[in-house]
Amino acid sequence: MFFAPISENIIEGASNSRHNRAELRSRLGSAWSCVRLLVLACVGVGLLALENASLAQQGAASFEDLAGRAAAARDGGNLPLAIDLYGQAEQVKPDWAEGWFYLGMLQYSANAYPAAIDAFNHLLALQPGVPPGMALRGLCEFETGAYDDALRDLEQAVAKGAANEPRNEQILRFHLAELLTRNSRFQDALAQYQFFAAKNILDEDVLVGLGLAGMRVPLLTKDVPAGDREMYKAAGAAGYALLAENTQEADGLFAQLFTRYPTTPNLHFFYGFLLFPHTPELAIEQFKSEVAISPGNLEAHAMLAFTLMIASRYAEAEPEAELVLAKAPDMEMVQLALGRSLAEIGDVKRGTELLNQVLQADPDNLEAHLGMASIYSRTGRREDAYREHMVCRSLAK
Amino acid sequence: MLTVNTWFAAAWLSRAAWLGRWRLAVGCRAGAVLCLVCLLVSGAAGWGQAAKDTVAKSAGAAVTCATCHAGVVAHYAHAPMRHAMEMGGANPVLDKHPNLTAQVGGYSYSVQTKDGKSTYSVTNGTDTLTLPIQWMFGTHSQTWVLEQDGHLYESYVTYFARGEQLGITPGDQRITPHNLTEAMGRKLPIWETQECFKCHASGAVDGAKLTLDTLRPGLDCERCHVGAQQHMVDAEHDNFKTLPKSLKKMDAENVSNLCGSCHRTWDTVMRNHWQGPAFVRFQPYRLEHSRCFIGNDPRISCLACHDPHQGVDHNDAVYDAKCLACHGAGKVTVVALPAGSVTPKICPVSKDKCVSCHMPKVELPGGQAVFTDHFIRVVKAGEAYPD
Repeated sequence: MFFAPISENIIEGASNSRHNRAELRSRLGSAWSCVRLLVLACVGVGLLALENASLAQQGAASFEDLAGRAAAARDGGNLPLAIDLYGQAEQVKPDWAEGWFYLGMLQYSANAYPAAIDAFNHLLALQPGVPPGMALRGLCEFETGAYDDALRDLEQAVAKGAANEPRNEQILRFHLAELLTRNSRFQDALAQYQFFAAKNILDEDVLVGLGLAGMRVPLLTKDVPAGDREMYKAAGAAGYALLAENTQEADGLFAQLFTRYPTTPNLHFFYGFLLFPHTPELAIEQFKSEVAISPGNLEAHAMLAFTLMIASRYAEAEPEAELVLAKAPDMEMVQLALGRSLAEIGDVKRGTELLNQVLQADPDNLEAHLGMASIYSRTGRREDAYREHMVCRSLAK
Repeated sequence: MLTVNTWFAAAWLSRAAWLGRWRLAVGCRAGAVLCLVCLLVSGAAGWGQAAKDTVAKSAGAAVTCATCHAGVVAHYAHAPMRHAMEMGGANPVLDKHPNLTAQVGGYSYSVQTKDGKSTYSVTNGTDTLTLPIQWMFGTHSQTWVLEQDGHLYESYVTYFARGEQLGITPGDQRITPHNLTEAMGRKLPIWETQECFKCHASGAVDGAKLTLDTLRPGLDCERCHVGAQQHMVDAEHDNFKTLPKSLKKMDAENVSNLCGSCHRTWDTVMRNHWQGPAFVRFQPYRLEHSRCFIGNDPRISCLACHDPHQGVDHNDAVYDAKCLACHGAGKVTVVALPAGSVTPKICPVSKDKCVSCHMPKVELPGGQAVFTDHFIRVVKAGEAYPD
């Protein structure tokens, strides 16, 4: 398994039959390089200065001795001793941020996740929001099942640039994608999986995870029933092919899926969703197939309405959007689809109201501004149309 | 013709005069409407009979658009859109340039035409890949779609009419080929293939499927005049009620969107965040940038200046009347300006060849082709290309 936690691989001789020793060593090296990188990146000169200043105040010799021995134990691969010495050093000097980082990292490596979280809590109290600390705490929280905390930390860490090294990036993005899927943020999860296709990183867990996100199933890969794993993997493989721009292969794989699982919800939705940014017309076909299979699938109806609007098929979009809006009046995508469609087919008043409703909640919504520009243009309100055009140009930049 | 301003002035000379004028106008209008209705009815009946006669005379021969619309079909036969694609064996561009070569990076390209058949070759000096050219996109400059192992590729090099030579296909400058296949062309995703054939050919796309076996090169009447085929079928049975929608009655916004379905709309460019001079070739988008564009004014519609059934007229002076329809002194005659609108400005520099200053020519990146920027504006000296 490609995305086993780093800690499983970091202690030589760990009882994990799935990995050979060479791979373990490679991951160990990778994890240590990660440690060094993280230290350099986040702790830095400021912390060292802090450390030196503090040393002068609190039994410098004792602390220096402990810190030196801890580093030696760490470099020598004696993790239990290193953990013990870093712990002692932190007793002497609790504001030593670098020590908390190493202690957390070593605890993580020893699969001692609650202890690692505690160490990273201390680090983050001293250095709030430091990306490597957030990232590693997030991975630990994932292991302890604190998924909401893990999602919060990993999302912030990735946003702040923690995924700055190829190995880190794979691990962080995969865990983040899993958590986003579990949290029903499927579109965000797909954006994370896009990274793997773009980098041509192929792994069974990635495929299963991508299948789950695409089919909008809020599960972690480890929680997938064994009997369903093959289907999600196949869906993920089809999605992966499309994300990797092997579109003909993807089309064939999706066709096979539709034959094999003709009534399974969200397979057509998945394909349509991936096609949508490139070709609304082809996406529409998929969303139509989806609502035929699952007439109660509001999201599919919403996507169909929105895509029909984007394709300028306003008369078809309008009834779809009305259908969804009756059940989900606050769904922005449908307000946009219906507002623009109504305006284009003649009901300018209600169309304008709906688009303005979107703009009140989201003043920089490009799609709403495009709709308003069209309304003003068609109704001859030259200055208003020009103003909306300028807003669109600004937003499009 | 009475202008808008003089009409207002006259109307408010006096209430009595205005009422009298109103009564007279109503009377005249009623009479005019009656006459018009009579004319239309008789005309329509006359035209309908003529059309029926024409179709009847053609009994035995296949009815086509030209059966009734011979003039426009004859013109359209030479229009660029009719030749948006050529098939192998019918390509005047390559017939005229039977031996094109280019060196791009480490690869040599050769496009050879002999006995009406064209081939596209690329070599790295050791290996050579040669493919027949089946589909040729464009009337002046030309890009080819090639097939290898069941996949379609856009040729990495294009013939540019400007220099009568091969160069890298626009948009592909960012690609660095790593092998002979990549040097041959860019593998087309299914959606791009569909869009290429949809905008350059007819009958090539059926719903979500690419149907190259039924492809007809170039755009036929149905592409813009949706319902033309049905209209022909119905006309054969004396039914002239199912006419295609009249494009002449569409407002500027709708015309822009129709043309923009291939030439790209404002919305499409905004949604895709496309920036830079490479996109100057998307005229409906550029036109909507213009301060003078307004969707309900037919004077700024694509069709105000261009007849798609004809070739593009490159004589700048031809377009002066179109510009002066709004920007000519005292000529605001077609539509009433909304309250608060600014009266169109009159050019202080010239009254002719307006487009030569206000619609500048822009080179595509690479300099292989030049497009007229349809963003109508006062161009300031030395200004950067405005997105």
